[in-house]
Amino acid sequence: MSNFEPKLVCFSCRFGWGYLADEDALASQIDNWIPIICSGKIDATHIMDAFRQGADGVLILGCPEGDCHFQDGNFETRKRVYLLQKVLASCGIEPERVRLELSVDPEGKTIAERVKSMNESIKRMGPVKRVPSAA
Amino acid sequence: MIAKPKVAIAWLGSCGGCDEAVVDLNEALLQVTDAADVIFWPIALDYKYHHIEALRDGEIALSIVNGHVRNSEQEEVAKLIRKKSQLVLAFGACACFGGTPGLANLRTKEDILNWVYRDAPTVINPKGCYPQTRSQVNGKELTLPEFYERVYALNQVIDVDYYLPGCPPPPDLIASALKAVLEDKLPPRGSTLAPQKALCDTCKRNATKPARIAIKDIKRIHEVDANPDVCFLEQGILCLGPAIRGGCGEACININIPCRGCFGPVEGVEDSGAKFLSALAAILDVEDDGEMRELIERIDDPAGYLYRFSLPVSILGSKRIQES
Repeated sequence: MSNFEPKLVCFSCRFGWGYLADEDALASQIDNWIPIICSGKIDATHIMDAFRQGADGVLILGCPEGDCHFQDGNFETRKRVYLLQKVLASCGIEPERVRLELSVDPEGKTIAERVKSMNESIKRMGPVKRVPSAA
Repeated sequence: MIAKPKVAIAWLGSCGGCDEAVVDLNEALLQVTDAADVIFWPIALDYKYHHIEALRDGEIALSIVNGHVRNSEQEEVAKLIRKKSQLVLAFGACACFGGTPGLANLRTKEDILNWVYRDAPTVINPKGCYPQTRSQVNGKELTLPEFYERVYALNQVIDVDYYLPGCPPPPDLIASALKAVLEDKLPPRGSTLAPQKALCDTCKRNATKPARIAIKDIKRIHEVDANPDVCFLEQGILCLGPAIRGGCGEACININIPCRGCFGPVEGVEDSGAKFLSALAAILDVEDDGEMRELIERIDDPAGYLYRFSLPVSILGSKRIQES
């Protein structure tokens, strides 16, 4: 589909991403951006709900490995996302549609770029093609 | 003489186990028939759909409906029953959540028909016959119900007043549900007539659970001799107890089989599979990505395991019927 514009939801941890920037100013540059306290807070339910509401991909930005403010919330999310990707694949949602990046960017300048880069790869994949379980 | 209230028991896409569970009420069933007239029960009584059609709207006090909806006949019966009934009780995991047949929603209708009528090794079908809704045989037209794109839970087809989950529901909960109807002591509409807490809450193995479960290996129940007294999760065997509503009397746990989830999510939770997934990820005791991948790969068919009874009502799969 040539005119397909993917819808992306981006969760990012406030401890590692954009805490020096003005959140409102950043939010105006990024659609569907949801800053949260710790990527470990993101439940499988939240990610699935994003897809139910029409998202074509979900990007999660957590803190670097070993640098979680709450010990290992980012690694907990890594386990959860990997397991969830297996379940989503059975429902016709490719694992690449959920991306977890563990890094740090206090200014938050790269958030919009990362969303854009994921957008490009989702664009190549096209909209979610679902089996009846996720129709 | 005051007429007794009318009760109907209908089966849609069902294995008959739920009807068997009603029969398992034994003598208590006689008390039910003393207090109410069973006017429709295809598995036990010879009543026809047109007997139901002849009733006034709302004339049936209670309809107990088991099974999922996957074809046009099931949809038609469900809608007819709804029209003629004051109360509709979704009975059993299939009616409540789509049940095990709901796993078919992981495949398309086309895949399913091709496998059953063409590709399965036991199929001999040289003419390539597939079921048709209309066909001519000896100058006569034969009809079949239309097979739908997916499996629906009952509340995706009609409004449901009460839910009684289980595969099948246990006799004590059936008896108390019927008693509540007959004595007019029902909770608010939309309620599930079962306890609200998770299975772990009443599981006798709960006492053996350590403060923090950390598993390094995942085993399937047939691969090991499970200790009958220790929490399954602690033994590395996936048990859905933490995310699933209790009330089943721990029927599986008592015969040393982990919970598969036929009672659906605990009160207030929409998707038990997603909740269990998050809980499971948390107890995987792995140090790095490599170990994590290795351990998670040990879970055969995670989608099937997490949604064994509830795929049609899961966050990703929930949808109202629009096929007819």
